[in-house]
Amino acid sequence: MTVEEQVREIVAKITHVDKSIITRESTFKDIKADSLDIVQALVAVEETFGIEIPDEDAQKFKNFGDFVSYVENRVAQEEKV
Amino acid sequence: MSLGGKVALVTGGGRGIGRAIALKLASQGADIIVDFFRHRESAEQTAKDIKALGVKAEVIRANVGEPAKVDEMFDMISNKFGRLDILINNAASGVGRPVMDVDVKAWEWTMDINAKACLLCAQRAAKLMEGRGGKIVSISSLGSPFVLPNYAIVGVSKAALEALTRYLAIELAPKDICVNAVAASAVETEALKFYFKEGLVKDNRQVTPAGRMVIPEDVANVVAFLCSEEAFMIRGQTIIVDGGTSVGLFTLVGKES
Repeated sequence: MTVEEQVREIVAKITHVDKSIITRESTFKDIKADSLDIVQALVAVEETFGIEIPDEDAQKFKNFGDFVSYVENRVAQEEKV
Repeated sequence: MSLGGKVALVTGGGRGIGRAIALKLASQGADIIVDFFRHRESAEQTAKDIKALGVKAEVIRANVGEPAKVDEMFDMISNKFGRLDILINNAASGVGRPVMDVDVKAWEWTMDINAKACLLCAQRAAKLMEGRGGKIVSISSLGSPFVLPNYAIVGVSKAALEALTRYLAIELAPKDICVNAVAASAVETEALKFYFKEGLVKDNRQVTPAGRMVIPEDVANVVAFLCSEEAFMIRGQTIIVDGGTSVGLFTLVGKES
């Protein structure tokens, strides 16, 4: 599974929405994710990929695509280290 | 300095009230472990400011709502410091909803971080304090004794925290550990914003007889006192820091806003 697929699966599971409706353009509002859903999704992604996503960074995500790109970059960085 | 040589853990110590407490205890000579969960930058900055006071600071990331993370945190403290003299249960989170909209997920999240964590941290801390005495202070809010808008779960979690404080105070007294809580009112509370929004009050001074908002340092000062030997005979209490708001509530009834 790609990073995107894994992140989508995590977000879908936490927000109880079908993963087919989560596109890179989807905002958290579009998928009716409240602040607790977002924190829990961040924590689940952190644990899955062994990275840390500070709220300062997460607040900049405008949509699911931003979230995925961030995780992809971080995972790539981790692999370099 | 009165806390020289002591080691203190402040959960949620990177920002707000936790940061003010961390800096206050550091200013009295304590080495500080700053726990954080979501805001590393703030925690690192707080640690930097603590070190500038001439004491040691350690930053650790742990969601205290998760028992395994609490264990990891205390294992680190045990290995690195070999002791703990002060525990400040300050970390808090919550979901602001009316009672009828509370679901299991929101309930568990809030109760885990605000109440269960206090138990787990106190249990681990007490073992590190045993034989040398210690202080445990937990941060509550006026949402426990009073009803605040959309505050049900947090209020209930704080009520649990306050009850736990009483039990811990009695059961840990033979181990020479003092346990208390501090409840603050209007340190960035939603309640005041609500009152303003609803037009119930127009001026902070109308709800705060002391004439200004409570600031984090007001809470930190009381916490520091409860961590001192001068407070030895205060046990299991929740000290309210609200500038008189709670006891003055009825003076607001019928008042022109």
